[in-house]
Amino acid sequence: MFCTRCGSQLAAGINFCTSCGARVVVAPVAAPPSATPVTTQRAQSMVAPPPSVYVPAPQPGAPHICQWCGATLDASSGLANCPKCGAALQARSAPSISGWLELPPRKDMAKLQFGNSSCQIEGLYVPAAEMNLAPEDSVYFSHHVLLWMDPQVRITTMSMRGGWTRVFAGMPLIMAQAQGPGHIAFSKDEPGELIALPLQPGQAVDVREHMFLAATSSIQYDWFQTQIWYQVRNDKETETFYPVGMFMDRFFAPASPGLLLLHAGGSVLVRHLAPGEAILVKPTALIFKDPTVQMQLHLEHPNAGLFSWGAWNVRAIRSIWLTLTGPGRVAIQSVFERLEEESGNIVYTSYATSQYW
Amino acid sequence: MIDNVTPAQAAQSFERIQCQWCQGMNDKTATSCSACGAPLDIRNVVSDSGWREAPRIRDMTEIRFSTSTCQVEGEVVPTAEINLGAGDSVFFEHHVMLWKDVTLPLSVMSLSGGFKRAFAGMPFLISIATGPGRIAFSRDATGELVVLPLHPGMELDVREHAFLLCSHNINYSFVRIKGLANIVFGGQGMYMDRFVTTNTPGVVILHGYGNVFERRLAAGESILVEPGAFLYKDASVSMTVVFQKLGSGLFGATGMNLAQMTGPGRIGIQSMYVHHKTE
Repeated sequence: MFCTRCGSQLAAGINFCTSCGARVVVAPVAAPPSATPVTTQRAQSMVAPPPSVYVPAPQPGAPHICQWCGATLDASSGLANCPKCGAALQARSAPSISGWLELPPRKDMAKLQFGNSSCQIEGLYVPAAEMNLAPEDSVYFSHHVLLWMDPQVRITTMSMRGGWTRVFAGMPLIMAQAQGPGHIAFSKDEPGELIALPLQPGQAVDVREHMFLAATSSIQYDWFQTQIWYQVRNDKETETFYPVGMFMDRFFAPASPGLLLLHAGGSVLVRHLAPGEAILVKPTALIFKDPTVQMQLHLEHPNAGLFSWGAWNVRAIRSIWLTLTGPGRVAIQSVFERLEEESGNIVYTSYATSQYW
Repeated sequence: MIDNVTPAQAAQSFERIQCQWCQGMNDKTATSCSACGAPLDIRNVVSDSGWREAPRIRDMTEIRFSTSTCQVEGEVVPTAEINLGAGDSVFFEHHVMLWKDVTLPLSVMSLSGGFKRAFAGMPFLISIATGPGRIAFSRDATGELVVLPLHPGMELDVREHAFLLCSHNINYSFVRIKGLANIVFGGQGMYMDRFVTTNTPGVVILHGYGNVFERRLAAGESILVEPGAFLYKDASVSMTVVFQKLGSGLFGATGMNLAQMTGPGRIGIQSMYVHHKTE
C-alpha cells in the first residue's frame, strides 16, 4: 500500500501516512456497473434501460482519469482542470470519514469543451455558465435561467412529451433551445454550486426536478414518475405529498457525448454506493443519482417514551427519509427545503419501510 | 528639499500602479486600490466573451473618498463601514443601515416623486448621514460590493435598490423605465437610479446579488440581458426592451422580455436576481 499524497510505502492497517501525515484512503471497492439496472417500474419498461454514469471510485495509481467524471486525461499536458467537467486535478479529493466526497473544487473561469463549443463557469457565490456555441451546436434550458446572450443566438422551443401532466406538477412546460453561433449564459437564483456532468454515449443520470440548468442537445431528456408519495390526514382533509417530486428527470446521451449542467444549493456531496449498500437521505436534499440506484420511502418514529403526549401522538412524530440503495453514485446538497412533516398522520404511503425506536 | 533628491529617487517616487478596475493611480507599494479597493496584485479574471468579474475586495480593505474612509468587511454578505470626516456625508436608502454611532446625525433628502415609490411597503426615502462619525451598511443577501469611483463628467445608471451608499457630492435622481419588468412581474415598470457627478469626484458603492460581472461594449455593440440581471450601466449605454418569443400556436403568448443594451460604455450584471417590487 502507498500513500496517495507522497507515495511512500505504508504498513498495512495504519490510518495516517508515517511520512507526510495524510489520511490513508482505502479506495472503496469499485463495483462494475450492473448489466441490467433495476430502476423504477417505468424505467424497466423502457426499450433499453440506460446504463448509469458510474465512474469507478478513485484508484491510486490511475492519475490519468478525472476522478469526478471519468474522462481520460493526457497526463503529459499538465492540465489544471479537467477539460470535460472543470474539476481541479491537482486538488486532493479525500472523502469524509463516512465516505462522502465533496464536489471537486473548480477554478474560477474553468473552461469545459463539448463538441466544437466551450463552456466557462465563472463566479463563486452564484456561478454562471457561459457557453460559446459553435454554429452546429445547441443547448436547451428552461427560459428563466437565461442570464444574457448575444443578439445573434437563435432561440427556439422544444416540444416535450406529456406536457400537460408536467404543467400540473409545476414543471416548466417549455424548454428553450439556443442554436449557435454565439454566446449565451445561464445562472440560477440561489447561492450554491454548479455541477458539470459530462455524459458519455450510453450513459444516463436521474435528476430531481428543479435542479436542471442546461444541457447540450446531444442529451435526450425524459422523465418518469418517482412513485414515491405519502398521504397526510388533517381532520377530514387528505393531502398527497411527493417528497422527491412527482416526476424525476432522466438525461441520457444515446449516441454522442454531451454536457449536463445542474445547479444545487449550498455545498454538494457525492458518494458511491456498493451493490446493496443503502443510505438514508432527506428527500429534498437529493440532487441526482445513477439510474441503477433505487429509491424508496422510509419512515422513522423516535421512541417517545412514556410521556403522555408522546404515547398518544407517537405516530405523528416521525422523520421522512429516502432510502437509496446501490450500486451507483448519489449526490446531495446542503441547502434543502423542509418537508411538511410536523403535523398530521400519514395514512397511506408508497412502498415504505418503517422503524420504531 | 527637492534639491537633495537624486533624479533616480525622484523618478521612483513618481512610479505608480494604475488600478485596472477604476483606472485610479496608486503608490507602487499599494496592494489594494485606495479609490475602489480592488486588489492590485491579482490578475483580472475575464471570461472568453469579455465579461470581467468585479474585483473580490479583500476583507478589511480601506477605501478613501474626500476626507472619509470606507472599510469593506466580510465576504459572503459584505458590509461597508464608513468613517465620515467632518462635513462629509453619504446618502443611502434607509433600509440598508446596519449600525451607526449614537451621535451621527441623519436627515432625509428631499426628492420629487420619491414618495410614489415604495420598497416592500415602506415609503422610499433617501437618508443622509453627515460626519464626523461612523455608520455601516449591508444588504440582505449573498453578494458582492462593487465600488465605482465617479469622476467629473461621468453619469451612471443603476438598478433600483442596488446602490448601498453614495458620497454627497454626486447628484441623485431616478427614472422609470416603462415596459421592462411589466410582463414578468406585473408591476408598473422598473426604476433606475441615476448618479451624475458634479465638478468633484465621488464614489458609488453598489451591492450585487451573487457574482457581479462587467463588460465594456464598443459603440454599436449590443447584448441581450435578462432584466433581473441588469445591475448598472454608463449613461451612454442605451437600453431597450425586446420580446423574445417562445413557443407557437397554443402557447403563442409565451415569451420573455430581454433588455437589449447597446454600447458604447460599461454594463454590469449580477448572476442572482431577486426582484424587489416597487409600486
